[in-house]
Amino acid sequence: MIGRHLPSLALLLVLLAGWEAIVRLAGISALVVPAPSAVATVLWDGLTVGFLWPHIWITAAETLMGFGLGCVVGFVCGVALGESERLRHLLWPYVLATQVVPKLALGPIFIIWFGFGMTSTVVITALICFFPLLENTMTGLQAASPEKRDLFRMLGAGRWQTLVRLKIPSGLPVVMAGVRVAIVLALVGAVVGEFIGSGKGLGASIIAAQGMMDSTLMFALFVAITAMGLLFYQLTLLFERWLLRGWLKGKVS
Amino acid sequence: MSIEPAFLSVQGVSYTYDDGSDVLSEIDWTIPAGGFYSLVGRSGCGKTTLLKLAAGLLQPTSGQVRIEAQTVAGPSQKIGFVFQTPALLEWLPVLDNVLLPISLHRRVQPEDRASALELLDLVGIGDLAGRYPGQLSGGQQSRAALARALIGSPPALLMDEPFAALDAITREELQDDLLRLVALRRTTVLFVTHDIAEAVYLSDRVAVMDRGRIALAAAIDLPRPRGGDCRYDPQFAGHCQRIRSAMAQAQAVAA
Repeated sequence: MIGRHLPSLALLLVLLAGWEAIVRLAGISALVVPAPSAVATVLWDGLTVGFLWPHIWITAAETLMGFGLGCVVGFVCGVALGESERLRHLLWPYVLATQVVPKLALGPIFIIWFGFGMTSTVVITALICFFPLLENTMTGLQAASPEKRDLFRMLGAGRWQTLVRLKIPSGLPVVMAGVRVAIVLALVGAVVGEFIGSGKGLGASIIAAQGMMDSTLMFALFVAITAMGLLFYQLTLLFERWLLRGWLKGKVS
Repeated sequence: MSIEPAFLSVQGVSYTYDDGSDVLSEIDWTIPAGGFYSLVGRSGCGKTTLLKLAAGLLQPTSGQVRIEAQTVAGPSQKIGFVFQTPALLEWLPVLDNVLLPISLHRRVQPEDRASALELLDLVGIGDLAGRYPGQLSGGQQSRAALARALIGSPPALLMDEPFAALDAITREELQDDLLRLVALRRTTVLFVTHDIAEAVYLSDRVAVMDRGRIALAAAIDLPRPRGGDCRYDPQFAGHCQRIRSAMAQAQAVAA
């Protein structure tokens, strides 16, 4: 496990050392590109003194709430549209239109509707997560083979049973692929949502750092956001492995 | 044989696709209770369609399919169906796959579990009950699918080329196990295959289908139980030859 990650870890160290060396030797201003050591110091201070933590919690909360809301609504709508052809024909153009609109462009109107703060950011994040779940759920529901559908008909399964016991489980790998896309987009949505609609959180802190011309702090915030994204993605992967353990067991042997 | 009551009867059944092309025309056929009947024919001759009509998965354009004198209006619990692929649910262990026909309708009781385990023993994979389908070989998956079809003790099995994807040795093992099981339970079987030797080995009667009609219905009077030696019997070869020439002749007329 560790051995597999060793080369990429070594590469990281080499890159950081190179960066540090170039910044120091060329005398590049910290305003343009700060040295990794300076970034690490600011990040360490932020975490130990604690002024970063409230922002981290807020961004994490916005990301997870938006992600949860978007995934649930996207999944439910995906099931509804996947099951009913009439509904699909009726609503699909509208769904597509709402997704083609850049959601961040809706930020200003959300601020009017939901106020300046967390709610606007959560709504933007949820909207961003909605589409990958909707689309992957609709696709996933078609994944069950015709033979399995015939099997369920032979066994006298009703429509609801076929949905819950055949179509949704068959589609889960595809749905989970959508969830993985959504968690990454959710963090982007939350951070960028904070740019326009919030005074707190890591995204809002980036704007504040920009105002103070503090590039070192901005880089420290990038690192915190990246770490959070990696953590969320890994947790999603773990959840997926647990959920799809039956399929995966088959693949191992 | 002829005094046995008909279990499945197909009377004047035709089936036409939506585009108007005939798949089956005026088929008449009966299978007595406990009989093992096979349908052979080349791809596209309508044998799978006839099987689906018998299962109630399709409704005939005209004519009637009856099971125990009742018209088949839809899928019936009296029938176990085995598909071309095992069609096991990958996310459930083998035991739960076998119990699926029960768990769809009511809560699974301990005695259901016991009878599922017994069935898995009978098909030779009793020790694999806790595995997932992806962990089984093709032959083991076919065995699990067979156990699932038999779980409610249906009086009849409909089988659609269930062993077509298996290697020769595994297929012969499964054929012997199938014969043993259906003899034990007196199950009526309608078996679709494109393998002439398989049809002859398994069946009491083999029908050759060609372009939606039954071109030949041959009784196979080889003694039972049939063992491996029977495949090399001159009589066996004679039956195969007769069926093969009927298939070839039908094709020649078409050409």
